[in-house]
Amino acid sequence: MTDQLVGAAPAAPPADPEAGAKRTARRRRWRLTGLVLLGWVAMFALWEYGSWWFGSRLLPRPLEVFQAGVEIVESGNFVTDFSASVLKTFAGFAVAAAVGAPIGYLMGRYNYWRAFFHDGVTIAGTIPAIVYAVMSLIVFGLSNLGPILAVALVSAPYIALNVAEGIRGVDKSLITMSEAFGRSSQQIRREVLLPTIVPFIFAAIRMCFAVAWKVEALTEVFGGRNGVGFQIRTEYQLYDIAAVLAWMFLFIVFMLIIERLVLAKSEARLLAWRPQERSSAL
Amino acid sequence: MAVLTIKNLAKTFNVGTPKASRVLDDISFDVRGGTFVSIVGPSGCGKSTLLNIISGVEEHTSGDISLTSDAGGPARMGYVFQDPRLLPWRSVMKNMMYVQDDRSEATVSRAKKYLDMVGLAKNADFFPGQLSGGMQQRVGIARAFAVEPDLLLMDEPFSHLDAITARGLRAQLQDIWAQSKKTVVFVTHDVVEAVELSDRIIVLQPGGRIYEDITIDLPRPRRQTDPTVATLQAEVLGRLETMKAMSRTASAVA
Ligand SMILES: Nc1ncnc2c1ncn2[C@@H]1O[C@H](COP(=O)(O)OP(=O)(O)OP(=O)(O)O)[C@@H](O)[C@H]1O
Ligand SMILES: [Mg+2]
Repeated sequence: MTDQLVGAAPAAPPADPEAGAKRTARRRRWRLTGLVLLGWVAMFALWEYGSWWFGSRLLPRPLEVFQAGVEIVESGNFVTDFSASVLKTFAGFAVAAAVGAPIGYLMGRYNYWRAFFHDGVTIAGTIPAIVYAVMSLIVFGLSNLGPILAVALVSAPYIALNVAEGIRGVDKSLITMSEAFGRSSQQIRREVLLPTIVPFIFAAIRMCFAVAWKVEALTEVFGGRNGVGFQIRTEYQLYDIAAVLAWMFLFIVFMLIIERLVLAKSEARLLAWRPQERSSAL
Repeated sequence: MAVLTIKNLAKTFNVGTPKASRVLDDISFDVRGGTFVSIVGPSGCGKSTLLNIISGVEEHTSGDISLTSDAGGPARMGYVFQDPRLLPWRSVMKNMMYVQDDRSEATVSRAKKYLDMVGLAKNADFFPGQLSGGMQQRVGIARAFAVEPDLLLMDEPFSHLDAITARGLRAQLQDIWAQSKKTVVFVTHDVVEAVELSDRIIVLQPGGRIYEDITIDLPRPRRQTDPTVATLQAEVLGRLETMKAMSRTASAVA
């Protein structure tokens, strides 16, 4: 009997001094989850009501949209369209970075170039995205280049301004250090300036991403030859509103996943040296 | 043989403008190979400016500087700054290699050797942000030694550290220097530190002239607890006080 007690003692959980605080935290988490669920339920209820009010031909019911989505996923051809849209979005970013980063570099490095570019770039950044979409359609008409141009036009000013900001904030003492050790200006550009601006390019791309893929899809709706926007146009011409909505929702979900996984992860990896990034990267 | 020769060096900032100010005035001295020379003087007397001119980061207004290297060719220089100045996005080892001219195996093992000498061999793959301030400064010291410089410049490398860390690093610096026998020009405003480390102390006075050139002939390694070290420290400190008092009277008269 005594033996058993002695044997059991270590297995008993030690009194946790933080137990009270943990319980409170857990309760708060539950309450938050409950509210999130309630929000979803309310949204679907409103939607159901809306499709009853407008008629399900005009606004299909959630279940119909869900079924349309399942059909799209099962047919499998969404993969080509999604990857086409994503590729076009990233091609647009690439063009924007190729044009915007050098401009930003000049603006950050030299006051003359700053004077030259500043107003133009600022104005370009203020023009609404829809204007760029229309401009791209006018330039390229029915082509895959339109969406790429639209994304590039929307993003380039942000990238330029952010890179300029980054270059201006470069740690001058690191440049002095490099010179004292006889490093070439090419080495300084590669090892000091470039790493300084990478986080700023990322910040710009993340800032633009939300706008960029919407502009991309929009441009596809009017001028695309493939991609999600093109599918939305096709379904619209067939007057299949449920499919239009399904394509849209699938694309939103897909883009959110890309943003969370691809962008955030690659950023965390590239910026692993930053103390605040490290914890999330590991 | 003299590694560094400076003749009638002068430096004026903002030449030809109303803001023109002479910071260094008629500085001449030379530094023999393998010696440890300290430059001390009150704040603002031009110590950092002198070091930057020697390293080539800053231009001088008049006078001559010549550097000779053992190998012939251009002289290699190492620089330890007041702050570590490491690339935050590169690991410790990559920081060590950044200032090297080649990636050969010999160079890599030399970088490792000096990292080991400052006790950071285990931290080669860390980012600077993962190290304490003192550890980062040690990387800065190892980095400068690892380029095997003909001339090693140090600008108040311990002034940002707490007293205990600074003392530990001073002892470490003495050890590394004793093994490598590099030629060092060491800037500090701390006379006690200068006496502990140097073969020779050059005292600059406000206005950027050499006030005194003191030879420190004490056996090494020197420890703070050694009474002869303490006596000499007190004496040099006394002379510096005299200089400050004199320059105050001089400026009062003028
Ligand atoms: N780029 C510059 N332009 C104009 N004046 C300068 C410049 N750099 C330094 N000075 C001036 O030169 C003088 C000497 O500066 P320096 O940094 O060499 O002093 P220091 O002896 O290193 O002082 P401390 O011990 O405080 O580091 C100071 O009066 C400073 O104002
Ligand atoms: Mg200084």
